[in-house]
Amino acid sequence: MASSSSSGLTFKLHPLVIVNISDHYTRVKSQLSLPPSLTSTSSAATSNNNNNNSNGGENNQNPPPRVYGCVIGVQRGRTVEIFNSFELIYDPSTRSLDRSFLEKKQELYKKVFPHFYVLGWYSTGSDAQESDMHFHKALMDINESPLYVLLNPAINPAQKDLPVTIYESELHVIDGVPQLIFVRSSYTIETVEAERISVDHVAHLKPSGGSAATQLAAQLTGIHSAIKMLNSRIRVLHQYLVGMQKGDIPCESSLLRQVSSLLRRLPAVESEKFQDDFLMEYNDTLLITYLAMFTNCSSTMNELVDKFNTTYDRHSRRGGRTAFI
Amino acid sequence: MDSTIAQKTWELENNILAVEAPDPSSDFIFYYDEVAQAMSLKAKPWANDPHFFKRVKISALALLKMVIHARSGGTIEVMGLMIGKTDGDAIIVMDAFALPVEGTETRVNAQADAYEYMVDYSQTNKLCLTYENGFCWFIGWYHSHPGYGCWLSGIDVSTQMLNQQFQEPFLAVVIDPTRTVSSGKVDIGAFRTYPEGYKPTDDPISEYQTIPLNKIEDFGVHCKQYYALNISYFKSSLDCHLLDLLWNKYWVNTLSSSPLLGNGDYVAGQLSDLAEKLEQAENHLTHSRIGPLGTSRKKEESHLGKITRDSSKITVEQAHGLMSQVTELFQIQRNCTP
Repeated sequence: MASSSSSGLTFKLHPLVIVNISDHYTRVKSQLSLPPSLTSTSSAATSNNNNNNSNGGENNQNPPPRVYGCVIGVQRGRTVEIFNSFELIYDPSTRSLDRSFLEKKQELYKKVFPHFYVLGWYSTGSDAQESDMHFHKALMDINESPLYVLLNPAINPAQKDLPVTIYESELHVIDGVPQLIFVRSSYTIETVEAERISVDHVAHLKPSGGSAATQLAAQLTGIHSAIKMLNSRIRVLHQYLVGMQKGDIPCESSLLRQVSSLLRRLPAVESEKFQDDFLMEYNDTLLITYLAMFTNCSSTMNELVDKFNTTYDRHSRRGGRTAFI
Repeated sequence: MDSTIAQKTWELENNILAVEAPDPSSDFIFYYDEVAQAMSLKAKPWANDPHFFKRVKISALALLKMVIHARSGGTIEVMGLMIGKTDGDAIIVMDAFALPVEGTETRVNAQADAYEYMVDYSQTNKLCLTYENGFCWFIGWYHSHPGYGCWLSGIDVSTQMLNQQFQEPFLAVVIDPTRTVSSGKVDIGAFRTYPEGYKPTDDPISEYQTIPLNKIEDFGVHCKQYYALNISYFKSSLDCHLLDLLWNKYWVNTLSSSPLLGNGDYVAGQLSDLAEKLEQAENHLTHSRIGPLGTSRKKEESHLGKITRDSSKITVEQAHGLMSQVTELFQIQRNCTP
């Protein structure tokens, strides 16, 4: 069902959407399973609890609840940018979508974010299912080709890739019958500067100290980890290429083409104007440093002069002059 | 060996508590215990002690939403509401949403359509069963001070005092998106006001922050009427997992961010403000040469001292921005001579 998409649209996903979906899912999950500290009167809940404890906290007997919601954003030309999301009421057993709720929510969000409109919907689970197509079709009257964002909430520590997939729907002719099927699309993560800082802040729980030393340390750690990541990626590419050269790995020309185009793009910017602008910025920063040093020096000098005046006071003769002679 | 010693020293200096990875049982902070909440509402322990709430726990989602909303306002103040609950002496903020209200330079007030929006929002959330059994409890409000720091202005103090009279428990949060971007760490403060006429027994020393000259009067008059709460953040285990994986994708953005270019006019504003403060300090200095020695001198020193601190802060931020630029340059250029 999931082949790669051919619509040619590029998708950009903001981290806020991911955190939103995860929060929605966690809330639903924690409402359904009571914390072990609370004793519950209903026997079903206690048996649920006991089972939970014996299975090491995993909901084995009940499949994890699925949550549904809507994603909003903007589409500019061939780029689709997903900014935000909100939850929806959907009953999978009766397959009914609460329309009035959706409209109300849309209105509310329109007031605060007037540029965004409904781009599609989201849900949690491990793979796209047939039943999802009904929801998808239901949304088609709001947006002719909605997106389906799927988040896999299973925490797998061995996983390296983000468990989020974006599906589009395409009309394929299968056995002579035109059917809508889900096709996977690739996406990139896009952040606004403030978003990146707050995500970084929460992810690494950086110390929010005021001193310059902690700030410097935090800044350098950030840059260091990013460079480390770049280094490891380049190493992987290098090993792959060496392997290809030796003949261990079959040659793949498309990949080779991409690598060579990447290399040809370095050096990225070498024009005269760039050098000039860069040096100007550099000089500005040096100037500010110089001014700050100056202010620091004059303040220290001022303190020194004051202390000097207080100690060697001309008007009082109390032991000031003796040390000087 | 040296690096481990250095790391331990750094951790000690900054009071870093080892954060264990949240296991699924810690997700129970998301569970809304209706009975316990109703009991604490009845007991109202905050009514007797103005200093009752000491800590704030903000969820990752709420922080993200608030910062993004504040930044999207640009130089205009924006505001919104926060949803959450209380837990002993801590206020927990689970979620936040924006209000369609734009503030002018000095005032952010919720007008009639904002109240309507609030009512609409809470009603639609009641239908949504996941929202705490249909309950949508407003625990506070937040607004932004783009470029001039996290503190409560006179209008903010009166709004908050009103809120604390009628909508207890209520919290005020202020975010500065411009400073967040320029310094690279989130600039946020959580406050509660003292009731009218209450004098705090001890003066809690708050972290120093530089305030532009045109606002410093407003700050000084009201700064004794509220106190700041400690902010900590929490995230669910799934959030943790996802954020770790997210890093694999957005490390590129970290390298390619250029804070110097984005915040040019903010820095220029800071510098001109600094220049004005210097002039003021200079006037103080020349006057006091004739005046009595001793006590009055201390004030000017702290003036100049403050200015020095401000200037070094600006410099540090600039230097950081330049550092990231230079590292970028080294990666993309084969031969560059800085």
